[in-house]
Amino acid sequence: MHVFELSFVAAVLLAATPVLFASLAGAISAQVGVFNIALEGQMLWGAFAAVAASYYTGNPWAGVLAAVVSTAVFALVLAVGAARWKADPIVIAIGSNLFALGITGFLMGVLFDVSGSFSPRGLVGLPKMQWLHDVPVLGAVFGGQTALVPLALVLIVVVGLWLLFTPHGLRLRGVGEHPEAAASLGINVPGYQFWVTIAAGALCGFAGAQLSLGNVTVFTENMTAGRGWIAVAAVMLVAGRPLWLPLACLGFGAAEALGFRLQGVGAPQQLTDAAPYLITILVLVLTRIRIPRRTKASLTA
Amino acid sequence: MTLPAAQLTGISKRFNAVVANDGVDLVLRRGTVHAVMGENGAGKSTLMSILFGLLSPDAGQILIAGRPQVFTSPLDAIAAGLGMVHQHFKLFDSLSVAANVVYGAEPRRAGLFDRRAAEARVRELGERYGLQIDPRARVSSLSVGERQRVEILKALHRDATILILDEPTAVLTPGEVTTLFAVIRRAADAGTTVVLVTHKINEVLTVSDEVTVLRDGRVTGHFLTGETSSAQLVHAMTGREVRPVSNPGLGSPGATVLQVRDAGVVDAGITRVRSVSFAVRAGEIVGIAGVSGNGQHELVEAILGTRPTQSGTVELLGADVTRWTVRDRRLRGVAVIPEDRRGEGSAIGMSITENLALGHHRTAPIGAERGIRRGWISVRAARAEARALIAGYDVRTAGEQQSVGSLSGGNAQKVVIARELSHNAPLLIAEQPTQGVDVGAIEAIHGRLLDYRAGGGAILLVSHEISELLALADRILVMLDGALVAEFSRADATTAGIGAAMAGLAAQNLPNGSRP
Amino acid sequence: MSDSRASWRAHPAARLVDAAARHPAVVPLAAVAVAVLIGGVIIAAAGLDPVTAYAAVLAGALDPDTLDYTFSVWGFICGMALVAAIPLRMGEFNLGGNGQLVLGGLAAALVAGQSGLPPLVAVPVALLAAAVLAGGFGALSAPLSTRFGIPIIISTLLLSPIAVAVVSYLVRFRIGEAGAAVAQTERFPEGARMWAIGDLSYTNVGLLVVIGLMVAFWLVDSRTAVGFELRVVGANRRFGAYGGVRVGRLAFGAMAASGAVAGVVGAIITLSSPYRLIDGALLSPGYTFAGLAAALLAGGRPALIPVTAILFTVLQVGGAAMERSADVPRQLSDVLQGVVIVVLALRTVIDSRRSGESGAR
Repeated sequence: MHVFELSFVAAVLLAATPVLFASLAGAISAQVGVFNIALEGQMLWGAFAAVAASYYTGNPWAGVLAAVVSTAVFALVLAVGAARWKADPIVIAIGSNLFALGITGFLMGVLFDVSGSFSPRGLVGLPKMQWLHDVPVLGAVFGGQTALVPLALVLIVVVGLWLLFTPHGLRLRGVGEHPEAAASLGINVPGYQFWVTIAAGALCGFAGAQLSLGNVTVFTENMTAGRGWIAVAAVMLVAGRPLWLPLACLGFGAAEALGFRLQGVGAPQQLTDAAPYLITILVLVLTRIRIPRRTKASLTA
Repeated sequence: MTLPAAQLTGISKRFNAVVANDGVDLVLRRGTVHAVMGENGAGKSTLMSILFGLLSPDAGQILIAGRPQVFTSPLDAIAAGLGMVHQHFKLFDSLSVAANVVYGAEPRRAGLFDRRAAEARVRELGERYGLQIDPRARVSSLSVGERQRVEILKALHRDATILILDEPTAVLTPGEVTTLFAVIRRAADAGTTVVLVTHKINEVLTVSDEVTVLRDGRVTGHFLTGETSSAQLVHAMTGREVRPVSNPGLGSPGATVLQVRDAGVVDAGITRVRSVSFAVRAGEIVGIAGVSGNGQHELVEAILGTRPTQSGTVELLGADVTRWTVRDRRLRGVAVIPEDRRGEGSAIGMSITENLALGHHRTAPIGAERGIRRGWISVRAARAEARALIAGYDVRTAGEQQSVGSLSGGNAQKVVIARELSHNAPLLIAEQPTQGVDVGAIEAIHGRLLDYRAGGGAILLVSHEISELLALADRILVMLDGALVAEFSRADATTAGIGAAMAGLAAQNLPNGSRP
Repeated sequence: MSDSRASWRAHPAARLVDAAARHPAVVPLAAVAVAVLIGGVIIAAAGLDPVTAYAAVLAGALDPDTLDYTFSVWGFICGMALVAAIPLRMGEFNLGGNGQLVLGGLAAALVAGQSGLPPLVAVPVALLAAAVLAGGFGALSAPLSTRFGIPIIISTLLLSPIAVAVVSYLVRFRIGEAGAAVAQTERFPEGARMWAIGDLSYTNVGLLVVIGLMVAFWLVDSRTAVGFELRVVGANRRFGAYGGVRVGRLAFGAMAASGAVAGVVGAIITLSSPYRLIDGALLSPGYTFAGLAAALLAGGRPALIPVTAILFTVLQVGGAAMERSADVPRQLSDVLQGVVIVVLALRTVIDSRRSGESGAR
């Protein structure tokens, strides 16, 4: 096992990318005070929409577009319910996750007459950035990846900086911290929550598309397999600092990539499947132990 | 220029059966300080919410600088030149002063938020109005008085010509009040119209030019401050002359019930209570004075056990309960009327019966401490108890199965007080027991507290109304920045003395060990 | 606008309508009606016939020949509804039912696989072991929440796949039947199977156990100090803490009880026909989320759970029949469950609009 090979870095990044998109979706929702646990179902829907559209058009980018747009529409339920009508976002999310699980399986049966998984001949996945191959380091890390992989990283940085340095970013942060205060200054709080929730849906569309057309070229029932929950955990981990998301998600990616390698040397798949969850829980616990100590120390010093 | 800055005519607003404003007229002349007075529930807040666009009136007209306006949101009001400093500050703790001031109306450079310009703006406004503050400081690190300055700066940044201050002095020390009044005068002299919402007569007389008095949603008086008197204002507010505060005798203290030694509380790295020591004995009312937010609430939480102490001990009836759970402390003998009756003292979605049962549900007659019924609840007994308390405390309700949320504020408060007093605990802690209560109910509550003391109960009374403490307490401790800084016996307690101690101007008769 | 509404409200007939609309059964019924309607639209949009599909669902679920099976499923869904309802009473979500379910199945399989236990001992011991293992696992989430601030909804979700993976691994590689094509344990000996009721092949004493648990929860909820405290904390956590409720301990107990019930359900399923622990078999029917949907539809109220569970039982059992006879994919059941939950969540809107009218200051 050669952990420090660039190919391993590439594998980590590949595994982490869907979670990166989804965790950015969760993080911006958290910034406006919407506890978004609908990521799992939205990502699943996005994955299905991407495969379906790519299959019908023969163009994987049409798949990405369909995933992004239709998942944003999918997010309307949460956006309208939680932002406009003040309904419980947790219950809506549980319902919409279940709905996504059902409707993707249902449509797979109705549209393609298959169950379990769908990977027909003629389903085109996203192209890899082969042209990077000759560039040192970058080629090894990104050469085998889709363009969505660097896009995820760039988006996180852009959104993170946008939050910090633009008037709208400032307003957005205020909306989540103290909605009444923002409203008293004429900020349309439900409006921010609504559009951010929709944008989060679009990001989950990217996450799904990368999953079903980038990481693999297939749609399988419940293929997100808990990645949306890992993303929620990553959001908790960075506690309002989206720029730290890559660190949190790459940890997950590393666990998954390591799992694949361990499977390669004979470790049972069941146990490597559990590793990302175990690591996520452990990291959450460990950071929770350290944070209070640090703040105490810094304040008494 | 004779055109008033704002003119409200015939404003009416009702919430179901409750008439909050009934044909209210208000004329705000430019560059004056106009006090809007009234008791709690008189309709001041509703009127100001309407003026600021938070509520829309059922009837009536608003003219701003002669022009009719219909505000559908505060945004409209802000655009028309209004600014409001709410009683509860609306600030973003994690952001800087400058970001808070300009939030929603940010200076920009190349599409980005121009932090330097924002900071310069805060300095400039600060100098113009005498509101000095560090624009880069995080709001979470500011004192209450400084936060209020940020609120005022927010309004001034938006070029407010009419500045509404809702009960601005409730959270300030006397020294800070003086500073605030200076700022108010300065703003008025510069042409800003200031509306001061308050129920404190001396403030009105000190700083205002004009007064409008509300009672039960109607205007009951309009005066030029120079031509009125406190008696006239009191009459307009209450419709009767207020009786002088009854002065009951002192209690006869017995054995020590509560002993706090060197208690310290730290919350999220901030020291809230520092090395506090005092005792409360049976048959005694000990008052804690202080501007709110100086650690009183955290001290109460530490005694009840809802908040851990970092240092020191709490003893109840001779037992060290510092590590005990809330439940065990309550069984040992403490009851608390909390400051936040709605958020902490009740579950508004549950019935009156259930609200009254909490804390009594493991003891007879509702529950049982031992035997075969241990752990079970008698619903019938709970309802019977509830009916008795509803009658005894005159809670106005259709029945004991009504939800507490359906009660009026005063009646919901009676439910909390009834539940806690009916424990007959050796120690009763009462936090702001008369806040938000009408005059009649205040007398009733004070009577109950004195009866409690007469029955041998020990009472810790936390209040920021000095008059309340002077009327009831046998001894008064003053809390400032988490520490006890002064102690007064009833005999040598004066409003001025306590006020000075609250402001940190004098320290006398320090209880042992209360200094860090 | 408000005036016209006020006068409308004053009309006696309108008042009657208004009063009827406030009846507690209206919201769940409306949610179901809306879900059925949306499901119909989806079926129609897929080019299929909704009436045929729904008829197939009902016929499949209520077929007298398989009513025995339907009843057993109703028992499992009631059990998993209980799993969701117990923490829901204090405002917490246990979404880790799957992990707790399979741990219960594992414990039962380990006990039942021991030959030589007398029949009267084997089944109770298996249920008990399942309750302890799954209850302990569920209870883990309580300290994670109180000590480390990880919400119970998150920790249950993250812990569940770990348990599922471990059990799957054990069935496949450690305790499984050697040489079988499917990862499963050997058939349990006669003495370690769930006691039968008459000659029914699916419904057995396990159903009575679940009914017993429901009665117990109903009693605890309405008649005991713990149940009262659970509801107080659910209504206002700060109020509970101030009133002396040990919230952390209560959460621990609620999560332990919730996990234990899940474990018992897993044990009952495992000890019933075909009397093996089969990899994945406990999870594929989706009892956990059907139960959660039933609990949400019942608003956590114990007395309503048996009723709301009927709906999801019909969907579950009838869904398979619908797939067979009407060619509508069975995943429609999940779709309808999801819609019911979303509609229920949106009901708060109606509630708050009502209270906004009557309760504003």
